[in-house]
Amino acid sequence: MSQRVFITGYGIITSLGKNAAENLQSLIDRKAGYGALNVLDTVHRATLRACEVKIIDQQLFEALNIRTDTGFTRTTLLGLTALQEAISMAGLTPEEVRSSGLLSATTNGGIREFEKYYYELMDPAQRGDFVRFTDTANPGEHCERLADFVGIKKYIGTISTACSSSANTLMQGAQLIRHKKLDRVICGGAESLSKFTINGFNSLMILDTEHCRPFDSTRKGLNLGEGAAYIVLESAEEVERSGRKPIAELKGYGNANDAFHQTASSPDGKGAFIAMEQALAMANVRPNEVDYINAHGTATENNDLSEGLGIQRLFGNRVPDFSSTKSYTGHTLAAAGSVEAIYCVMAIQQQMVWPNLNFENQMPELSITPVRQLKRSASLTNVLSNSFGFGGNTSSLLLASV
Amino acid sequence: MKGQPVYYINGIGILSPQKTFDNDAFLTELSSYHENVLTCVTPEFKNYINPIQLRRLNRMLRIGLTAATICLRDAKVQTPEGIITGTGYGFLDETAKFLRELLQQQEKQLTPTYFMQSTYNALSGLIALSVKCMGYNNAYVSRGLAFENVLDDAMLRLIENPDANYLIGAFDEAAEVQYSASIRETYFKAEHIHNLDLFNTTTKGSIQGEGAAFFMLSGKPSDTTWCVLHDMQFIYNPADAEEVKNGVAAFLQKNSLSIQDIDLWVDGASGDIVRDSVIKELAQTTFKGIFHTRFKHLCGESCTASSFALWLGASIIRHQHVPDPLKLYPEKNPAQLKTVLIVNQYMNKNFSFFLLRQK
Amino acid sequence: MKKTVDELVVELRAELIKQLNLEDMLPEGFNENTPLFGEGLGLDSIDSLELVVLLDKNYGIKLKDPKEGRHVFYSIRTMAEYIHQNSTRV
Repeated sequence: MSQRVFITGYGIITSLGKNAAENLQSLIDRKAGYGALNVLDTVHRATLRACEVKIIDQQLFEALNIRTDTGFTRTTLLGLTALQEAISMAGLTPEEVRSSGLLSATTNGGIREFEKYYYELMDPAQRGDFVRFTDTANPGEHCERLADFVGIKKYIGTISTACSSSANTLMQGAQLIRHKKLDRVICGGAESLSKFTINGFNSLMILDTEHCRPFDSTRKGLNLGEGAAYIVLESAEEVERSGRKPIAELKGYGNANDAFHQTASSPDGKGAFIAMEQALAMANVRPNEVDYINAHGTATENNDLSEGLGIQRLFGNRVPDFSSTKSYTGHTLAAAGSVEAIYCVMAIQQQMVWPNLNFENQMPELSITPVRQLKRSASLTNVLSNSFGFGGNTSSLLLASV
Repeated sequence: MKGQPVYYINGIGILSPQKTFDNDAFLTELSSYHENVLTCVTPEFKNYINPIQLRRLNRMLRIGLTAATICLRDAKVQTPEGIITGTGYGFLDETAKFLRELLQQQEKQLTPTYFMQSTYNALSGLIALSVKCMGYNNAYVSRGLAFENVLDDAMLRLIENPDANYLIGAFDEAAEVQYSASIRETYFKAEHIHNLDLFNTTTKGSIQGEGAAFFMLSGKPSDTTWCVLHDMQFIYNPADAEEVKNGVAAFLQKNSLSIQDIDLWVDGASGDIVRDSVIKELAQTTFKGIFHTRFKHLCGESCTASSFALWLGASIIRHQHVPDPLKLYPEKNPAQLKTVLIVNQYMNKNFSFFLLRQK
Repeated sequence: MKKTVDELVVELRAELIKQLNLEDMLPEGFNENTPLFGEGLGLDSIDSLELVVLLDKNYGIKLKDPKEGRHVFYSIRTMAEYIHQNSTRV
């Protein structure tokens, strides 16, 4: 049964860049995507900044060669951009695409368009161009659009476990491969900024009005971001059959629930601990063999303390290098898990550790400090990627070099 | 069928537009509706949810948590190994409450409750919190395939650990927002009908339903077992009826069954003259001569209506009879009810097959 | 005419019951001095965010940091006193 699961391609678009190469360069150059909100129309433009993809919908349509009257939401457009890069990096034939599964994650789907045309949509007597967005409040809509556009037929699914969503798509994709239900699954998530999200997080009072500072004692909250990222997972058999070169291996994963509070993590990071421990156990990797942790690190008071304590508990006095790349991308919510899994794969490919930007002050509750400078010629074999979310969801992925 | 894992449904809890929350009664009372929106018949929530929790839960969270609680009690399981939910539209009316406030108040002075309760994993998280389940937790939102994804997930996990209990379920609300937005596109009928006449209509669109259904799935039987879930599979976006027919044939063959082995098939026709075309063709070809029943006149159409069908199939096997409101074709009782096949469809785009057998 | 602390207590009690759905769940002996959080009424961090908005909407008082709320929201009386001192609207 135990099919090994390999990564043979990926695609990504974030505020750091519209493809993998641009994202990599920004990580190396310490170039964060944080800045003024000028694509999304919101009253918070004056006071809140975010990590926005600085490409308007029109340009996304053009780059994808899609007509603008097709009802594709920004979430779907960002998703397609990343999905097509992933397919092309893996070099999949149309028949291979067709026989692939697609697991996509989103917290919002097309709410950005739904909120824009809300009053028109709510009035059944009205007619107009807005009807193409009829079903965009449905989170599964984007996934069907993606599958239909690229021609994926075999299997689809959409996952929404708040901020851990796309980590769970990778997990379930690997399950489907390990149990030989599918040979190949493309997994990831897509998220566009919306008034709905910005105001939701704002009402929870966990948005920092300045650039976020993960694991810093003065951290005040998160910055929101947008983007999409997809990863091609394939079975060992399929890798051998096709002759494709695996980039990395998805060796282990863990999923647990903190069962503490609807929106807060437990103070001792129990859920985080369990998820990481499971990922290690499944990969048969000991804590001292982990070379880097890409932390969830949202820069909220609650998350970083809980996660930090969970890490300390698991790794004791031998905590590996860790950082939160949300200091670059902001929190891309459902896309964060796959965005950061790709950054982990890039770290393995480049043998580099990405710095945690904006860290100045040690948290008194923790004895650990994130990596502050880009580390070159690091020796990375096993890397952990953490993704946690509202509802107590905690997920952890163990990615390994091949 | 040797070598294939077996799954047992060891508990069920379901709230629907029919009085289904009492597992001892099987459609003995019928609720009928004279409009195109069917909403849940609910028990006294405080018998299932403590008052502190109840205080801030929206209607769907109450319905979902109650269904989950009934299921846990039915299965005599305190804490399952994992919790997995599926939904098409989640808490869409909650989403809209926050959205309306946001638009009306120009994005100012907003409270977080509606926002928090609109997240799609709010129910799976709430159940975990209620029963202190720190195990596996996941939430699928794949429109007409959400519940099917849930089953796939649980079934794979049970291969790894057959002793485990997975609390799996689905929920969807008859959201006003969805109704208003999509009636224009004839997801729902323009004219008002009586729900029991659904299959006599000749127009486009269905009637809107809702519900929450939870199942305790395990690789091991127990003294509370309802039936065996033998297999489940779905087809996404078939090119034509032929593809679905071939899908049914392959599914049966995979399970070493012929069409004559099916004692009853349950179809997911929605009363939509256009979108029921494939199901109708199956009835006239593949399933010709096989005992047959339908269910969406009782629960209405929703993305996760297949969860109602799963309860229905399990109940028929458990009670060994098909209650009157189900409209059996032909109108006589089958000689035996040991093997039931559910063929659901959503919007003629998502098709799924559930194979149930007596324990 | 500025409202007195006692008038605010009465008003806040009604408002809290409505906003936080406290109907039917106020414990025996609940009064304006009962702690709203923890061992008292058992409200949580989400309720405190609801209260932050209530202060802003009804009394024009903006708390920037929910942590500031901890002493303000200790009980109905502490809330009434804080509003009495800080609101220009009542």
